[in-house]
Amino acid sequence: MNKRIVYTQDDGTVAVIVPADECGLTVEQIADKDVPAGKEYHIVDVSEVPSDRTFRDAWTWE
Amino acid sequence: MSTVKSKKLQVGTDATSSNNFTIYQPASPDGTLRIGVGNADSPTEVGRFDSNGLNKLGTASGSAPSYSARAWVNFNGVGTPSIRESGNVSSIVDTGVGIYTVNFTTAMPDADYVMSGHSGNVTGTTGTGRSQQRNGTWTASTAYFRNVLTNTQAPYDDSYIGLIFIR
Repeated sequence: MNKRIVYTQDDGTVAVIVPADECGLTVEQIADKDVPAGKEYHIVDVSEVPSDRTFRDAWTWE
Repeated sequence: MSTVKSKKLQVGTDATSSNNFTIYQPASPDGTLRIGVGNADSPTEVGRFDSNGLNKLGTASGSAPSYSARAWVNFNGVGTPSIRESGNVSSIVDTGVGIYTVNFTTAMPDADYVMSGHSGNVTGTTGTGRSQQRNGTWTASTAYFRNVLTNTQAPYDDSYIGLIFIR
């Protein structure tokens, strides 16, 4: 699945949800189920998520 | 309406006994149903059921019951993390360097399940010890953990992280 679900955590950093291809759910269904209640989220293409994790813990979403 | 009662029921009539199976109650009934390979006169047990269902896998020796994984995942935690293969996992969540959440497709009966895992380099030698540590309060549908280097206890991204969950 070439999609990721991103949301901002309580500490201001970004969480990236990696959907499991084998689970039989759509990315929208996974977002509904796995994003913490009340959190705004965005479904993005995997190419929009940085692969350089040098400053991973400083990532934010705008 | 009649009822057929028997302690053994042979399935198959092949001349080679190992091609046949027998469903039977043990000589000293203990609340289990056995399935054996071979004819009814001398079946070799390959499976055992009790009132809760399958009690022991045929590949398990001895009489201790078998328990199996209820979820598992093999994923890459470096670069853009991705799941290689999984079972009963809807997603993992990358919440920071070496810090992850596992979400189950179908929830466990409660939060008292057990996690076991290991990690390292997907190719080549993994020279430094790793451990996977529980991280926070689990729920029936979500487990939190950290993948750390054992020498520094620092969270760490690995190219191979494998977890199984048993309940």
